[in-house]
Amino acid sequence: MTKLTRRTLLGTIGAAAAASALPAMPALAATRTIRHYWWGNPERDKRTFAVIDAFQKKNAGISVSGETIGWGDYWTKMATQTAGRNMADLVQMDYRFLFEYVNRGALKPLDEFAGKSLMIADFDKGPLDGGRVDGKLYALNIGSNSQVMVYNTRAFQEAGIDADLINWTWDDFAKACEKITAKSGGKMKGSDDLSLMIETFESWVRQNGREFYSPDGKVTATAGDVASWWQMWADLRKAGVVRDKNKTVILDPPIAESGVAVGDTAMSHYWSNQLVGIQSVAKDKIGAAMVPHKAGGKPGQFIKPSMFLSLSRDAKDTEAAIAYMNAWVNDPEITGILGLERGIPCSPKIRAALTPKLTEVEKLSVDYFAAIQSKVGPLPLPAPKGAGEVRDAFMRAGTDVVLGKVEIAKAAGTFIEDAQSIVERAQ
Amino acid sequence: MRRFFARNAPAYVFLLPWLIGFFLLALGPILASLYLSFTRYDMVSAPRWIGWGNYEYMFTRDRRFWKALQVTFTYVALAVPARLIMALGVAMLLDKGLRTIGLYRAIFYLPSLLGSSIAIAILWRQLFAADGVVNQVLAMVGIQGASWITDPDTSLFTIVVLAMWQFGSPMLIFLAGLRGIPRDLYEAAEIDGTPRWRQFTRITLPLLAPVIFFNLVLQTIDSFKTFSSAFIISNGTGAPADSLLFYTVYLFNEAFKFFRMGYASALAWFLLVIIATFTAIAFFTSKYWVHYENERD
Repeated sequence: MTKLTRRTLLGTIGAAAAASALPAMPALAATRTIRHYWWGNPERDKRTFAVIDAFQKKNAGISVSGETIGWGDYWTKMATQTAGRNMADLVQMDYRFLFEYVNRGALKPLDEFAGKSLMIADFDKGPLDGGRVDGKLYALNIGSNSQVMVYNTRAFQEAGIDADLINWTWDDFAKACEKITAKSGGKMKGSDDLSLMIETFESWVRQNGREFYSPDGKVTATAGDVASWWQMWADLRKAGVVRDKNKTVILDPPIAESGVAVGDTAMSHYWSNQLVGIQSVAKDKIGAAMVPHKAGGKPGQFIKPSMFLSLSRDAKDTEAAIAYMNAWVNDPEITGILGLERGIPCSPKIRAALTPKLTEVEKLSVDYFAAIQSKVGPLPLPAPKGAGEVRDAFMRAGTDVVLGKVEIAKAAGTFIEDAQSIVERAQ
Repeated sequence: MRRFFARNAPAYVFLLPWLIGFFLLALGPILASLYLSFTRYDMVSAPRWIGWGNYEYMFTRDRRFWKALQVTFTYVALAVPARLIMALGVAMLLDKGLRTIGLYRAIFYLPSLLGSSIAIAILWRQLFAADGVVNQVLAMVGIQGASWITDPDTSLFTIVVLAMWQFGSPMLIFLAGLRGIPRDLYEAAEIDGTPRWRQFTRITLPLLAPVIFFNLVLQTIDSFKTFSSAFIISNGTGAPADSLLFYTVYLFNEAFKFFRMGYASALAWFLLVIIATFTAIAFFTSKYWVHYENERD
């Protein structure tokens, strides 16, 4: 045990303060400044500020000022800055919001730079095209991901689960939940209760052979889809093999409070680029399984761009901004710093360069990605305007169901009606 | 005219900082929001005039609007009396002429300074969580506590308790009011053998009426505008199941989460109407129950 003295404590605080102040400090000699705005977490922020340092060292004339904030407040601040014509030059963009911002004219297309200052010719076409709207490239993919059931390898081993976790079905899943709960004497439940997770529910709808939204932005998921989803979880709750309902209704808890991280459950649902973050807070070694399949159903999961980098309408020094953007996806040192934290890069060259240096959990996500390639369905079209609000409505209705306040069939019907009117109003 | 200025000039000089702030900083946005309430505005493209569209939607089709009204009115109905009773009770205790009254006054005022802060709301969430301190204490005496914050039936109650705890400023005003009641009235009552309870209902309450009225109006306005505690405790969404969907939380979501600035402006103006109505009702009825000492009738 090291003893914490006043001096070391003060020293640590001082160092932390200095460290957090340093990256934000603009280089005084620089004459050109660009702003980069992203949503993050401590790990991502650390890596991104390191990237900014590396870039500034190589490009003496350009200073980059980084602005970071959590996902929850990111879009609020972005909307305010957009309205005030004060967007950062480069903004991190999400698949769900891309159409919305392009339609409002807030982003500039990148096609004119391709092949000149933005080298993307050899990138994987599928992931790259996820950033196209009406044929124009508005967003540069900086990593791909997919849904994943994160599981506790120790609990799985002890309970003797031998299912093939890439090809398994919902029946296998239910059996695994039972075994794990029984093995631990009820101390560790099989899985988080995913009743409120619209991300997993969307896979369920696709397994039933439908998309959640039609190409013209109508809700095509049915009340039957919703009711059967909630019924499955109600049965699991009744059997006592999923997490306590009072934990389930806490919305968007931080990673550190997920069942897998705390040890309440053996499985939680996440996006594959979050594996790194979850392993850093989980006690046991984690593994990656696919979202269970429907026996005889269609593929539910898909691979999507996890994040983009976009050039904003308010960018003045586009040349400097594109140079920075190009370094993000091509510079060996910078992509080395970024690793797989934002997802799997879509440059084959960069992937090959990263492979020998991967940590155990990074290797897990690469292997998982390779294993699911042939098991996923096509990328759905970007969700229509109002999709964020539909997500809220789903969680509200789900809360009523989980707490037993409203009948499943009734809640499912109300939700579909609400969702329909939300997207209609948003148009 | 000249006499008016001679008499009132000092007052206006003291009001000047506020007046400058109002005309330079507040008036513009207020008028802009009135205009925006008749438009559809997503903060990125230009506002589009839609007449009474926002107000029409609000009253005829928006179920969450009614839910927000229901939550807010329930809260006001519970929190305002609870806080006023608490404040008056503590003020009467402190009015007993303790020597260390200054210290107690400060201690009791403290929660009001902290109460509306983000930190206290976060603390509150921890206290009333399923495995929080409140339930641990209840468990010691053998009671299985509810999951206060995540259960829609009890979540609002936790915020009412938080509001009750912030009784500091009405308490100080009550205390000043109690000090203004002539002691000889109580002495006379004492000599007549009037019981304490009747002294309270016949002397304290009537003479305190103007102060009660003042506190009532202030606290009602304040409670309608409650935001930060509900926002933090419900993770900004009004969860669980909209049981904490305070009017202001709904307004914030419409404005800054779903980018409907026009609609949010309409909501804000309707809130102004509600508050103005309640204040007017209080003033109108006050002549039946509030009597001022220096009134001649």
